[in-house]
Amino acid sequence: MSRDKVAKRPKLAREGAGGRFRYFLERALLNIRQNLLVNLITVGTISLAFLILSLFLLLYVNLERVTENWSDRVQVAAYFDRELSPGEIASLSGKIRAIEGTAGVTYISRQEALKRFSGRLKGQESLLNGVTPDILPSSLEIRLKRDSRDSDSITTYVSRLKKIPEITEVQYGEEWVRRFTDFLNLVRFIGALVGGFLVLAVVFIVANTIKLTIFSRKDELELMGLVGATRWFIKAPFLIEGILQGVTGVAVSILVLSGVYMAFLHNADILISFNPMLSGLLFLPIEYLAALLAGGAALGFLGSLASLKRFISL
Amino acid sequence: MIQLHNVYMSYQRDAAALSSITMKVSKGEFVFLTGVSGAGKSTLMKLLYGALKPTRGQVVIDGINVTKLPPSQIPYLRRKVGVVFQDFKLLPNRTVLENVALTLEVLGWSKKDINKRVYHLLKQVGLEHKINTTPLRLSGGEQQRVAMARALVNEPKIILADEPTGNLDEASKDQVLAILKEANIKGSTVVVATHDRRLIDSCHKRIIVLDKGHIVEDADVSG
Repeated sequence: MSRDKVAKRPKLAREGAGGRFRYFLERALLNIRQNLLVNLITVGTISLAFLILSLFLLLYVNLERVTENWSDRVQVAAYFDRELSPGEIASLSGKIRAIEGTAGVTYISRQEALKRFSGRLKGQESLLNGVTPDILPSSLEIRLKRDSRDSDSITTYVSRLKKIPEITEVQYGEEWVRRFTDFLNLVRFIGALVGGFLVLAVVFIVANTIKLTIFSRKDELELMGLVGATRWFIKAPFLIEGILQGVTGVAVSILVLSGVYMAFLHNADILISFNPMLSGLLFLPIEYLAALLAGGAALGFLGSLASLKRFISL
Repeated sequence: MIQLHNVYMSYQRDAAALSSITMKVSKGEFVFLTGVSGAGKSTLMKLLYGALKPTRGQVVIDGINVTKLPPSQIPYLRRKVGVVFQDFKLLPNRTVLENVALTLEVLGWSKKDINKRVYHLLKQVGLEHKINTTPLRLSGGEQQRVAMARALVNEPKIILADEPTGNLDEASKDQVLAILKEANIKGSTVVVATHDRRLIDSCHKRIIVLDKGHIVEDADVSG
């Protein structure tokens, strides 16, 4: 019998890119089934690593939320020793709104100021006997946009505000704002530092776990090469497997995190907020969950790619 | 089919594993490559399936100069060459069917055709009843026959067997040899590296003897 051609080649099973992808996906799923224990260990390790990272993110996101709530208290007030006419209020509000960083302007009349004052003295209203609205100043309360609430931005803002000739007296709780800004910077610095270390640790753990998984199957890689498989034919199922391991690991970590959240954390706001206005800890926003899943997929893919390079000589 | 011209191979400086090897194996030939351990048999076999490139000289397989072959083209060379190893190289977590099917999966055969072909091959080597067994449940001889089925399943032009009977009992050796002879009769060029004298004597085929990396004898005893 002549052997000039490599066997009688029947119809190919995987024509086109779709067919090839389907074959590689099936192969990857079969590989996972055939190496179940190794895959379970890998997914478990990835889950644990990402659970720590997502727990940190959960706390960080909520801490950011708390600080944002605190920053709502940052206000600038311009005081006047007389009531302003509606025309003056409109004109001044327009000029103030034109300053960058202004979120809103509210006029507080002397009458309104007295009402607020007495509100704060609930139960001791008798202290205000004989007090008339004219001893209190009227004011324009200015709320600032979130990115203009730090110490430097407010100083710049106030200097611009003071350029409006009608405004003479401005107050904004300078000391409180400075301390708050320092606290915010500290939280962000620690967050970036811890987060950075955690991300590095996760990358290291996941990459090495995948490397061990692939190392345990180096005979298979060698054999595939010996029977004439091309580099991509060998790599593709392993890369898909890496992506599946990464995504499954992250999905499990999110499930565990949501379980922990439902069981313990959703009403644990008192632990970090000290603010009864908050309804509870938020779960991770959807974009964070998507980023974690994408990170898991990318790590699985890149970890496999880097490891395969070491074991495939083709 | 196989040509080596002045091949020199060294893993380290000053220590040649192969030296001045020039040989030619024609299409359809059956050749024994023999010599003591360390003579260079396995190195020569590795050159033939592209696992190594010679330090000097030319290796031509079925018209392809392996020496100049880029790594991306080696898979296509290996599809023409079926290789059998002493340690079988079977995947322990896959069934006999899946192990043999690997060669055809690489070629892109459909599952249906693969199953048909693998069953046919396993029947030839007498293992069709073990098709769904994993290799660890097979004897050494059976494992080697599975490995041979994997090497033969795509009807390669060349079959290279590196110490194929090294770990087997006499009965299994005979079975392995019979399979190789049958493949040769069907048209494959067969090169068997072995130091098993009984195997060589039972065949009356061409013998190439290696010693310290040199060919010291090339005798055709088939006549």
